[in-house]
Amino acid sequence: MIRTQKLAVSAALAVASVAALAGCSSTASAASPSGSAAVEPLVLYSAIGYDAAIAKAFTAASGIPVKVVDDSTGPLLTKIAAEKNNPQWGAFMADGATAFAALDQGGQLLPYTTTASVDSVGTSLTPSDHSYIPMGTTVVAALIYNAAATTAVPTSYDDLLTPAYKGKVGMNDPAQSGPTYPFIAGLMNQLGGTKGGVAAGEAYLTKLKANGLVVNPTNGDTLHALETGQINYGLIQSSAAMGEVVKFTAKPVAGYDPKVIYLSKSTLLPSAYGIDKAASPVQQSEAKKFIDYILSPAGQKVAQGADPSGDSLYWPVVNGVTPLAPLPATVPSSSQAIDPTFWGPLQGQVVTWFDSNIK
Amino acid sequence: MTTTLSPSAVVPRTTAQATAVASTSPTGPSGRVPTRVRTNPFSRLRVAPMTVFWLLIVAILVVPILLFLLVAFSPALLDQGTEWFTLSAFREALSGQFLVALLNSLLVGVVTAVGSAVIGFGMAWIVRRTNSRTRRLWTGAVFALLLAPSYLIALGWQRLLEPGGVLEIIGFHPTLARTFFYGPAGIVLVLTVKGIPFAYLVIANAMRSLGGEFEQAVRVHGGNRMASLRVMIALLSPAVWSALAIVFAEAISDFGVASTLSSAAHFPVATFMLYNAIQAFPVQFPLAAAVSWVLLGLIVLALLAQSWALRGRSFRVLGGRSRPTMRIHLTRWGQLATGAITLVLLVVTLGVPAFGALSASVLTGLGSAMSVHSWSLDNYARVLTSPDLRDPLLYSAQMAAITATVATLMAAVCARMLASSKKGASARLLDFVLLAAVALPGIVFAAGYIFAYNLPLMNTLGIHIYGTSALLTLAYVATALPSTSRSLVGNMSQLHESMSEACRVHGSGSVRTWFAVVMPVIARPLLAAWLLTYTATLLELPVSQLLYPPGSAPVSVGINKALSAYDFGGGTAMEVLAILSALGVVGVAYLLFAILAPQGWKRLGRTS
Repeated sequence: MIRTQKLAVSAALAVASVAALAGCSSTASAASPSGSAAVEPLVLYSAIGYDAAIAKAFTAASGIPVKVVDDSTGPLLTKIAAEKNNPQWGAFMADGATAFAALDQGGQLLPYTTTASVDSVGTSLTPSDHSYIPMGTTVVAALIYNAAATTAVPTSYDDLLTPAYKGKVGMNDPAQSGPTYPFIAGLMNQLGGTKGGVAAGEAYLTKLKANGLVVNPTNGDTLHALETGQINYGLIQSSAAMGEVVKFTAKPVAGYDPKVIYLSKSTLLPSAYGIDKAASPVQQSEAKKFIDYILSPAGQKVAQGADPSGDSLYWPVVNGVTPLAPLPATVPSSSQAIDPTFWGPLQGQVVTWFDSNIK
Repeated sequence: MTTTLSPSAVVPRTTAQATAVASTSPTGPSGRVPTRVRTNPFSRLRVAPMTVFWLLIVAILVVPILLFLLVAFSPALLDQGTEWFTLSAFREALSGQFLVALLNSLLVGVVTAVGSAVIGFGMAWIVRRTNSRTRRLWTGAVFALLLAPSYLIALGWQRLLEPGGVLEIIGFHPTLARTFFYGPAGIVLVLTVKGIPFAYLVIANAMRSLGGEFEQAVRVHGGNRMASLRVMIALLSPAVWSALAIVFAEAISDFGVASTLSSAAHFPVATFMLYNAIQAFPVQFPLAAAVSWVLLGLIVLALLAQSWALRGRSFRVLGGRSRPTMRIHLTRWGQLATGAITLVLLVVTLGVPAFGALSASVLTGLGSAMSVHSWSLDNYARVLTSPDLRDPLLYSAQMAAITATVATLMAAVCARMLASSKKGASARLLDFVLLAAVALPGIVFAAGYIFAYNLPLMNTLGIHIYGTSALLTLAYVATALPSTSRSLVGNMSQLHESMSEACRVHGSGSVRTWFAVVMPVIARPLLAAWLLTYTATLLELPVSQLLYPPGSAPVSVGINKALSAYDFGGGTAMEVLAILSALGVVGVAYLLFAILAPQGWKRLGRTS
């Protein structure tokens, strides 16, 4: 026993000293940026593909440093929620308004009205209390199909229930793919509104499953299933669908000709930006300058150039800026905006139902 | 000279002298030995370092886990709700579908653990006890296996089996295999592939220290090969149970594999509910904490099984008289059979994920409706020329090296306590805490770290550790400690006290005894533990995601970002490069060991 403890003595001493060293070095490096008073790094939590590029451009233009924590939406939301009693972020940007609506309901967002000239779509996506700011929008779902493999093109969601589409339609799993819950919520909203929408949507998805719906984890997997002929139609986010078109327009391949249409209705899925109510006044002021820069013509140019086959394929929501080439000039005419304060809290319930009954 | 000990007693050099001292000094009338122990400066410090050790364990494991679990009862405590005491999260977590999911998790855990342990034992036997020609192939492949991310294993199988996939292109129609793979059997298969290298390392390390004398004794007394195998299995039970427990814990805490592969066949597991609760808004930490309590309940069951199986027995087989083992000289058929087993296992465990990596990063259009298949290294060139990979890879390599060093040192202490023949309450507590850390999915663990180290109280105390590399290191250490400790338990439980006692009796201090007696015996397992931790930390994702300091992304976060932006080629190329770099480190480390380590360190496990 004595020997065990003696053994522990040396090892524990060594451990303690290494840990102390690690602690010292990191504390020193962590403490250094907070030297000057007027400028402090803006901490940006982001799940948007062009974040690093736009942060760099903003720093070059304004002199304000931005520290980017880039991740998928899920982990970032977990982080924000876990940090709730001592928030560390200054600004947060991600696809989908529901998370922002929930943050607003929890009193975590600082309302701000951008100085940029927001267009009508942008206005329709802006909440009445201006708690978050739309930066652009995509839609769910875009219907991508392989025109080299099929000539049948559906014109409505009901068409997908007919024998012509049996076993040939794919979508993503809302438990693993961020944009998929807004798609399902939009479908429910369209079929029955906020009263009977959930039941009507579940009935529709049940019929779609009976017609051989294929569920893949994420956008990338559904596209792979389309490329490999496992399905001929995929219901995915418009930016992923257009990215596929861009990719195969640049390098055409025989037997695969991806085309995109929008069934009535498409649901607007804005990329949104929120400012932390608990951040320091310095960071809050920097965060306001940052969103104004993002929505300025210079910022939009950077945002559209950074991820041209992914997140840059969005419809701008400020006047005077046009979307990248393969996108139609305006959002699909049949687009709808859904109420994030109603549909957001239903996410857990709907996703669990989907997992039990459709997947 | 040997009968009259002076204070400056000379350390005896010969066996005869040693025997003489051993027989006289402890009972000598002078009483100098106890006096010397009393005046040893280390003895006064004895309590303090153990306190430091426990403080570290509490800080990096107990507090984060406990705070997370408390949220199940008291959401208001950490601002996650309004109630100070409630059981509503448990009501939700224990209703209907969840019970089915729980049973599914239990089933997957048990089958995976048993499967991995059986295969791990078999391979350890082939490598350590036979002259099979393919044994070196397996030793080299184990670290590659440890590194293969479950994403690549699943991807490889999918690309082979999917409709329009490789098997169909070459003329097979694997409908049955597809049904088999996209369901519980597929989940168990992938998790077992992940579990085998760990089970193998734990058991093979222990088998290395098991001298040949026990098997010889059985054979001398008329036992056949089966009887000798039974004795060997019995003597290795601490290592086997260690492997079973840890693979079980890893399997029930997995989410990625299960959720990907169960999408075709409905097979919910407990972690699905947990992720659903904390990766969607509103984030429900209380529900996730309630699910975590249930996962811990399963771990308690595993530990009970372990202590029941090992109760009251000693497994100390490594003494000063351990003999080299005799390798079994296989017949031609034996060579063929072991060779075939090794090769099949390598193809299944390593070939398939390697194929997944190749198909995603090098070939364009493979397994697709497109008729054009071409080779291209574009993805690698893109990755190598961009600082987006280089910087994260260097950062992750540094973090992994620091983590591996700290974790291995702490693990040596933990393993010594866990292997102690008189396991006290503290050792039992340590065992539970370590296994609990494995059973909780990484994201829960990371959230616990945020709860603990982002408390406003920490700021008040002047501790600004949240969002720094230091906290990430501590979290990595805590993540690695359970498996690193368990990889050493098998060896530590074999160390016979008599060896260290002999050294102490001959006048050596505790530090010298450690380096003279213990170190040679565990040097190789320690190196293996260091490498195990290094490779596992390099590509760690869930903790990295939630705790990385703003601006310095680890390589796993970079890979994940590329994959989620549909850049499968770039993401997989980054992954392959990271794996290759880690294999390089493994190779260099073993090379240095072979060149630099004293001869005695390499002697253990020698075969004749």
